[in-house]
Amino acid sequence: MGVFAAARDITERKRVEDELKELNASLERRVAERTSDLLAVNQELESFNYSVSHDLRAPLRHIDGFSKILMADYGGALLDDGRRCVDHIREGARRMGRMVDELLELSRTSRRDVSKQLTGVKAVVAEVIQELKPDTEDREIEWRIGELPFAYCDPTLTRQVFVNLLNNAVKFTRDRKPAVIEVGQIASPGETVLYVRDNGVGFNIKYADKLFGVFQRLHRREDFEGTGVGLATVQRIVQKHGGRIWAEAELEKGATFFFTLEPAGQRHMEEPELATVLAGNKS
Amino acid sequence: MTKDQVEILLVEDDPEDLELTMRALSDEHVCNRIQVARDGEEALDFLFCRGPYSERDPNSHPKLILLDLKLPKVDGLEVLEQIKRDPRTQLVPVVILTSSRQEQDMIQGYHLGANSYIQKPVDFDQFRTTIKHLGYYWLLVNQPPPEPAFERGVFHESALLK
Repeated sequence: MGVFAAARDITERKRVEDELKELNASLERRVAERTSDLLAVNQELESFNYSVSHDLRAPLRHIDGFSKILMADYGGALLDDGRRCVDHIREGARRMGRMVDELLELSRTSRRDVSKQLTGVKAVVAEVIQELKPDTEDREIEWRIGELPFAYCDPTLTRQVFVNLLNNAVKFTRDRKPAVIEVGQIASPGETVLYVRDNGVGFNIKYADKLFGVFQRLHRREDFEGTGVGLATVQRIVQKHGGRIWAEAELEKGATFFFTLEPAGQRHMEEPELATVLAGNKS
Repeated sequence: MTKDQVEILLVEDDPEDLELTMRALSDEHVCNRIQVARDGEEALDFLFCRGPYSERDPNSHPKLILLDLKLPKVDGLEVLEQIKRDPRTQLVPVVILTSSRQEQDMIQGYHLGANSYIQKPVDFDQFRTTIKHLGYYWLLVNQPPPEPAFERGVFHESALLK
């Protein structure tokens, strides 16, 4: 009796093993298919980008070049209105050129692999502010930098986040004397929440859902320059890190942009000395 | 160096880009003797004195080649490769002048021996300034290779003896 029971068990076990093998094989096949799809999509994006960068620039060059020649050769006959028209044509071409460049940059950022490592946020912010110094020499800006932690993130991309957010803060506080720009961290268990706050013109919170759209702007171009890709880029980067970004603002009072990053402590728990050092720094 | 030596060989297929480049060259008084090739095949025929250019003096070399990348018939990078591979032409400076700033094109271009890589700016004033600097540097500041240099290939052994 025992021998038959044992035989049945073995057959049963073999059947389960075979099923598992088949399941694994089919999963492997699906992964391979998805990977190949992904590679194909990436290829398409590459060629799309190439077209955008190469092919769109050529007609822009022609528009700019020939309107300039028009001005040079026939400017006198054009009268003021005619010359103003040509200026608008050239400005249009130049602006489109900038948008093409920024779209390309945005797309490159989106496709970049995030290379997370232990990053000192304080050092990154200090560096970005230092680089803003030449553009802010004639401005009265009060920088309030709080205690900033270490985080587990891509240093280059994180730097880009601060470049865009701080540039915006500087831009939209143009008429403030002094401009007050704050960078800090707010307490939140399990995540690092950072913010950039300014006392600038702010925006109407009812348009908040447009804030991160590509080329979406909440201010008139003649009031504040910019193509509207800065925040879209920031959002992409934060999302690529698995974080989230949101904003609070009030017209004429200012704006605050919050975003989350992975705290350094969690990943480095397996390095006990490092974890202790980081825990010590958290106050 | 003969009086009617071609100074610049401009390889450009797009008619509007060609007109703008010629205009920039003339506005900035860069030089008088410009030979235009409208595709890769014509550029190579000119340089190697073949086809419609078989009567050309093979000992006469342009001082500078301005090379666009996206060309019909023979692609820009292929033209570059042939120029740099042949001892008769490899010493002529080649400046890639293209819309593209794609990293792949730059990498390939430099690997194949391009002397310089310039992305055509959208702004025409900038373009003219670029052409002015280019022309000034390569035609006036830079010393072109003397004739004897063309008589042997770059990796000829006797070049290393001294």
